[in-house]
Order: sequence, then structure tokens, then C-alpha cells
Amino acid sequence: MVLTGAVLQSCDMGHSRRWVLGTAAGVGAAALTGCGLFDSDDPEPPKAPDPLEPVLAEALALAAAYDQAVVTQPGLRTRLAPLAEDHRTHAAELSRLIGEPMPSAPAPSASAAAAATTVAALRQAEQAAQRTAVAACKVAPADRAGLLGSIAACRATHAEALR
Amino acid sequence: MNEQLGAALAAEEAAIYAYGVIGVHLNSSGDIAEARAAEQAHRRKRDYLVGRLSQLKASAAPSPAGYELPFPVTDRATALKLAIQVEDGVAQAWRPVLPATEGADRGTALAHLTEAAVRATRWRRLAEVSPATMAWPGRPE
Repeated sequence: MVLTGAVLQSCDMGHSRRWVLGTAAGVGAAALTGCGLFDSDDPEPPKAPDPLEPVLAEALALAAAYDQAVVTQPGLRTRLAPLAEDHRTHAAELSRLIGEPMPSAPAPSASAAAAATTVAALRQAEQAAQRTAVAACKVAPADRAGLLGSIAACRATHAEALR
Repeated sequence: MNEQLGAALAAEEAAIYAYGVIGVHLNSSGDIAEARAAEQAHRRKRDYLVGRLSQLKASAAPSPAGYELPFPVTDRATALKLAIQVEDGVAQAWRPVLPATEGADRGTALAHLTEAAVRATRWRRLAEVSPATMAWPGRPE
């Protein structure tokens, strides 16, 4: 009832408008919802980020890091290109589940992976990304556990492939 | 959860059998060490599963007396091919445990899925199969 009290109080200022609303839509409805519906231009409260977001950010950052490494070291293309492709496959599936179009580029702060271009640094980034996916898998609802488990395992195989 | 753990147990027992066949056809010390380590790991998983199923008062199907191999194993190449297939199969048996479990059981299942996937990658590298990784270890193809 605290909420209702506050709403009534703030609406009391516009006395005549409340009267108009009251005749139009019923006094009760106006008292409960009038302010929110007609007066407020506040933005919607921000949606809590999907727990898949950090896993997606690392997938995109790693894919970009491999692309960059191949540019600077073309000899590594055969070895690195399939790993980048795995991350892009993950990113597409994660974006679909989150329900947002895939960002074209990772956020600059997404992960240390963005700066990793040597094989050793890429390997470390894969291991860090594996830990993110493991943590997400452990607390995920059942319908996401398999997906996150496969992503975690895939990142571990990447670290192995870079040994 | 019991059904999925039972399937994982069947896969681990099949893997133990397969490594007996694989080992016979390997010669290099690197290959043999890899196969021995893998077989030991699968025995530990088997023991874990037998213990866990017993705690849950679930009975597992007895392991078959023998297995039919998916193809004849006659040399190193076919032995490595079988090792890759075995590890992929073990990963595929552990993945369905994830949605059926929570907490520590899920963490253990994920560790076992990951180990099998990593071993599959190691065998692919030894067999010079490219790519050595796949996007979705444990997801049936």
C-alpha cells in the first residue's frame, strides 16, 4: 500500500487532470495507474543481462582475436581458422538463445582475449573463457546445461590444440 | 539422473574394452602412454559411476561379455580412428547427464565430458586429423 500512497500523493498535484481521468477511466484505475501511464516518460527499467552474455562476449572476442592473429601470422591460418569458426558457431547459437541479433563486433572491454594474438596468449584466453563457460554451466537451468557444457569442453579442446 | 548415469557407465565400459584392442596395435611410446593414461582415466570414471549409482540405489545393466567393434582394427591408423570414436562417444554419453543433474554432480559430469573431448582432440592430432576440434563436443552429430 506504500506504493499506492505515493502514487496518490504525486498525482494530487494535477487535481483537475485526475478528475478528467477519473471520469474517463474510473477513479480507481486512475489512482492506481494514472501516473505511470500518462505522466511518466521514464525509460523502462533495464532488463537484467542474460547470463549467457559473458559467454557470448568471449566467443566473439576469441573469434576476433584468431582473425587478427591470422592477419599478422598467415602461416597459422590452417591451425587457427577452424578454432575461430567454432567460436562463431557458438556466438550464433548464444545470440539466438539470448534473443538479440549478434553484434557485429565484440565490445572493446569484452575480454582480455581481444588483445591475444600469440599462440600462448590465445591459449590462456581459451582457458579463461573455459572457466567462464564452466561457471555458467554449473548454475544454468537444465535446458541450457548441455549447450554451455559443450562450449566449455570445446574451449578446453582449443587450449589443447594450441599446446 | 540414473538413466543418464547408466548410459555413461555403459560408454565408459565400452571405452575400457576398446582401449584393450587399441593398445595392441600401437608401437610408439607416445601412443602407448596416451592409450594407457586414457584407459586408466576411463577405469576411474567407471568406478565413480558404479559408486554413485550404488549410492542412488540404482542398478545398472550388466556390462556385455563382448563388444562388436564398429570396424576392424588392424593397424595404428584404425586403432587411432577407434580411439577418436570412443572418446567422442564417451563425451556424447556424459553430455545428457548435465541437464539431469545439479551442483557437484553436474560439475563432475562436465569435467568428464571435457576430459573425453580433450582426449579426442589429442588423438586427432596424433592421427593428423584436421580439424582437431569440433564446435559441440558431446552433441550427437
